[in-house]
Amino acid sequence: MSNFVSKEKLQKWAPLLVLIALIFVFSFANSNFLSIRNFARIGIASTPALMIAVGVTYIIIMGSIDLSMEGAVAVSAVLFATLFIAFGGSLASWAWLAVPVTLILGSLFGLINGLVHVKLKIPSFMASLSMGFVGIGLSLLVTGGDRIRVEDPLFRSLLTERYFGFPLMVHCALVALVIGWFIQCYTRIGRNFYAVGGGEDLAHASGLNVQKVRVLGFMIAGVFYALGALFAVAQIGIAETATGYNLMFVSITSVVVGGTALWGGNGGVWNSLIGVLIVNVINNGMIVVGLPRYLQDGVLGLLVIVAVVLSTDRKSLAFVK
Amino acid sequence: MIPMFELKKVEKTFPGVRALKGVDFEIKRGEIVGLVGENGAGKSTLMKVIYGAYQHDGGEVLVDDKPVRFENPRQAMEMGVGMVFQEQSLISNLTVMENIFLGFEQQFVRFGLMDWKHMAEAARFQLAKVKLDIDPATTTSELSFAQRQLVELAKVLTLEERVDGDLVILLDEPTSVLAKEEVELLFKLVRELTERASFIFVSHRMDEVIELSDRIYVMKDGEVVDSLKADDADVDDIQHKMVGRNVDKEYYREEKQKPFNKDQVLVELDGISRASSYKDISLKLHAGEVLCLVGTEGSGREAIIRTIFGLNRPHLGQVSIKGEQVHTFKANEMVDRGVGYIPRERKIEGIVSGMNVYENMTLSQMGRHSRFGVLNLAGEKKLARKWIDRLSIKASSEQADCGNLSGGNQQKVVLAKWRSGGSNIILLDHPTRGLDIGAKEDVYEMVREMSDEGVGVILIADTLEEAIGLSHSILVLKDGEITKRFDCEPGNKPSLYDLVHYMV
Amino acid sequence: MTMDKLKKHFPWITLIALIGLVGIMDPNFLSLTNLIRLAADISTLFIMALGMTFVIYIGGIDLSSQSVANMTTVLATLMLPILGVGAALFCILIGFGFGFVSGFVSTKLKVPSFISTLAVGGIALSLGQYASGQRALYMNAEMRDQAFGWLVGNTAGIPHELIIALVLLALAYFVERRMTIGRALKSIGAGELAAVASGLQVDRFKMFAFALSGAFAAIAGLMFAVKLSGGSPVIANGFLLPAIVAVLVGGTPLTGGVGGVLNTFIGAMIVAVVRTSMLYLEIKATDQQIFFGIVLIVAIALTIDRSKMKTVK
Repeated sequence: MSNFVSKEKLQKWAPLLVLIALIFVFSFANSNFLSIRNFARIGIASTPALMIAVGVTYIIIMGSIDLSMEGAVAVSAVLFATLFIAFGGSLASWAWLAVPVTLILGSLFGLINGLVHVKLKIPSFMASLSMGFVGIGLSLLVTGGDRIRVEDPLFRSLLTERYFGFPLMVHCALVALVIGWFIQCYTRIGRNFYAVGGGEDLAHASGLNVQKVRVLGFMIAGVFYALGALFAVAQIGIAETATGYNLMFVSITSVVVGGTALWGGNGGVWNSLIGVLIVNVINNGMIVVGLPRYLQDGVLGLLVIVAVVLSTDRKSLAFVK
Repeated sequence: MIPMFELKKVEKTFPGVRALKGVDFEIKRGEIVGLVGENGAGKSTLMKVIYGAYQHDGGEVLVDDKPVRFENPRQAMEMGVGMVFQEQSLISNLTVMENIFLGFEQQFVRFGLMDWKHMAEAARFQLAKVKLDIDPATTTSELSFAQRQLVELAKVLTLEERVDGDLVILLDEPTSVLAKEEVELLFKLVRELTERASFIFVSHRMDEVIELSDRIYVMKDGEVVDSLKADDADVDDIQHKMVGRNVDKEYYREEKQKPFNKDQVLVELDGISRASSYKDISLKLHAGEVLCLVGTEGSGREAIIRTIFGLNRPHLGQVSIKGEQVHTFKANEMVDRGVGYIPRERKIEGIVSGMNVYENMTLSQMGRHSRFGVLNLAGEKKLARKWIDRLSIKASSEQADCGNLSGGNQQKVVLAKWRSGGSNIILLDHPTRGLDIGAKEDVYEMVREMSDEGVGVILIADTLEEAIGLSHSILVLKDGEITKRFDCEPGNKPSLYDLVHYMV
Repeated sequence: MTMDKLKKHFPWITLIALIGLVGIMDPNFLSLTNLIRLAADISTLFIMALGMTFVIYIGGIDLSSQSVANMTTVLATLMLPILGVGAALFCILIGFGFGFVSGFVSTKLKVPSFISTLAVGGIALSLGQYASGQRALYMNAEMRDQAFGWLVGNTAGIPHELIIALVLLALAYFVERRMTIGRALKSIGAGELAAVASGLQVDRFKMFAFALSGAFAAIAGLMFAVKLSGGSPVIANGFLLPAIVAVLVGGTPLTGGVGGVLNTFIGAMIVAVVRTSMLYLEIKATDQQIFFGIVLIVAIALTIDRSKMKTVK
């Protein structure tokens, strides 16, 4: 028998095939699905999640995990809104400063996250989960539980202004994705993520400062979380603690479904794009064909289990906790 | 001529073990030095001290007569000392060039971005040194083992450009995965490279060591027992030195070795095979017999033992325990049939550190000490006290944490776990590894006692001497197949060289 | 050595010191009725933490407890008119089942427990929303009192929920210390490979630990539903963090093997006292989350057994 389709190749392209198959299925189920308007809707819904997913992709490539994104997004969103309003409330004024400041704050949050993980030697899932809680708490402290409205039309044009049928934020997210891809492929740190994920001990023995790579990874992820927070605020014009709600689950599911293995060392940001699209096409498709929206958590739960199982070479694992 | 790299009376001690006992070692410019010794003789510790993974805690390391101390492998690299690991140490998801320059990528960064073209060029230059013509952008996992070995060498040879002085390159079992022609190629390459570098060559294959090296160091028990010119060396001679003193019959309690019961078969393997572990293995273990599996690391010994304990299943063939054929390969099933397993990693697989003596002893037989799932603590403690007494285990009480016992006493607890539960098929995987001499003798004594009581023992010994001294029968394995069977009646035991002949 | 010995006693020393400290600020705090009320208030959370202890004890984590409890409040409310007091059994079985699935996915399919429980939690959340129609549901007061009145009463000044929590603690303690399951779980937490090499059916025991955690989460949800006389798929949000904190602060480290349910009791009491003291210090409930997040980091850092981890990922 000829091995025209090798197992590796299939594994590599499976997520894309799944995405295409899903689009086919939903298009047949409801003709409204296949329209620019609906695709724009999917694009808008995917944008914040894509940014979070790109950030956490680096962490997962390293074989670690980050569960802090809900907190990170909440903090970034409310701090951004607060600063934005304090600086004048319009992009045309000094309020544009809030954007870079927020990105820096995001990286600081990631820095603390990484330091807690690396310096206190706490497994990343727990270090980041705790930091996520701290982030939620911080955002509550800032807002006192209230919502902050960001109504600057210039800022909201991220949503309202459309080119080629898609809002500006979708285009911005794609630019950020390409930057993410550049980091992954063309920077030293990006390549070091793969080295750490492929064999931490070996990387260390080759003289790589693994701790530094890990902390930097969390910082870069923090910047992308902050970016995700900006898009999330632009999407609904409101910043609140709940801005980050459910983003942890969606983003990790996306990364894993996209084909980046939890054990690290492979995958990348394009995989995460596919993953985010799969997740959002399913969400959107379920609504379009008339299934209740709240089923998505359950579907995502099943999806993530299936994806992890399929991507795991289980013979090579001693035992899993 | 002063040696360019020298160790003087180097010591290394780990908790409970003196791994290096005053090792003297020197390499001259352009020299190829062989390093041989049995497993556990201290070779790998010595290598780790040389390339900076461990720090010596006595004696001196001298480079060009100046004392140095490497805190990590990177510092050693900066002094020109590099290690060629076995082929598994390349990161398989990275490209060849990324592996070659791992940790030293900064030289290829332009304006924050990686200049892949430049790196590929540099990598090609390195690959040319080892005469390997492959695309540097190939993912490492796509290479053959031989190619990976050469990439490892190319990676270390980057030191040529980075370091001004001379190089010392360690080769750790570089030939273990190579075919004959590839070995010759590698040797030719190494000889050519002596213009720039000295080599330390570690291998189990004696003939190769003699062929390639100028001088050979022989290690045993953490000491260098001899250093000889390769021209004067022969295989038997070196092996003799590696093994050391002649077999001491009393040490292994040979006078207590009694004939086993040939009528009572405890374990029978009938032509079992398991992909990439072992092939067509048949054996019988009788009551009162000590059967030893001998072979190099990876010869399939461990896999066979794990099959008998139910931790993996054979793909072909039949396993019978006490005359009953086994269908489900599960550890609890085998334990019920009377099989007990004493694993090699005593501290990890043998005892549960953090649990006390009686909890450890009954771990495999909790069903026997409980009713409706409720444990009978008083009964467990009584049992533990009995066995503490019987095996003279040195523990403050049955409540003592097993993690705090000495190695020998931990091993006794593991043994008591199986013996107290009535297991009469005992699998011993390196039972004396890391024990001091007194504790080893205790273990030998216990093996004899078990035989007297009709227990069948399958042994993987720590040394060949131990295998010969203890067993009634020896099966020699090579590449997963049985190559020879020896009977070992006292007074008529095979020699070490008989065994080695069939091992390699 | 001394530091290690001290570490073991750290949790209850902390608890007593905290009680003393708050007692100085407000002597009324130390009154028996107040302390009993304090314990009763934390009992629901404690029960959830109790179950989670088993999973952390074997070196895993259960992030699904909160979702399972949420779902149970809905199911209990819906099942009350149909099954009466039997609704309790129904809920516990469902919780047990969800926990078992987490355990199955994590042990047999080799998905790390933080992911498997997160995923199963997502499924529980969906089911809760589906069953409730995304609304808050209310129990019929009469039916509730008839079937579950005994859950919320008082006897001799001691709230029944506290009694139930203590009974469950005693039960869990018995399982942990005197039953083969408890011993097996301890050996898995302290040295899984040795447990395997002793012929233990490690996977079964692990699945059981997850199932127990699910069952306890369901009991917590049930009590919560009865207390509030209704259910909703988000009603128990905010339980996860303090429950994990209770387990870890109590002295069961993330690496498992030591500690146990009694430690979790102390941990839960610490959480209760800290919460109360925050009221005295006029720190708002919303701000406590930062504090507990930091406490969590400190507790993990202090208790975790780093010799068990080859590399920290």
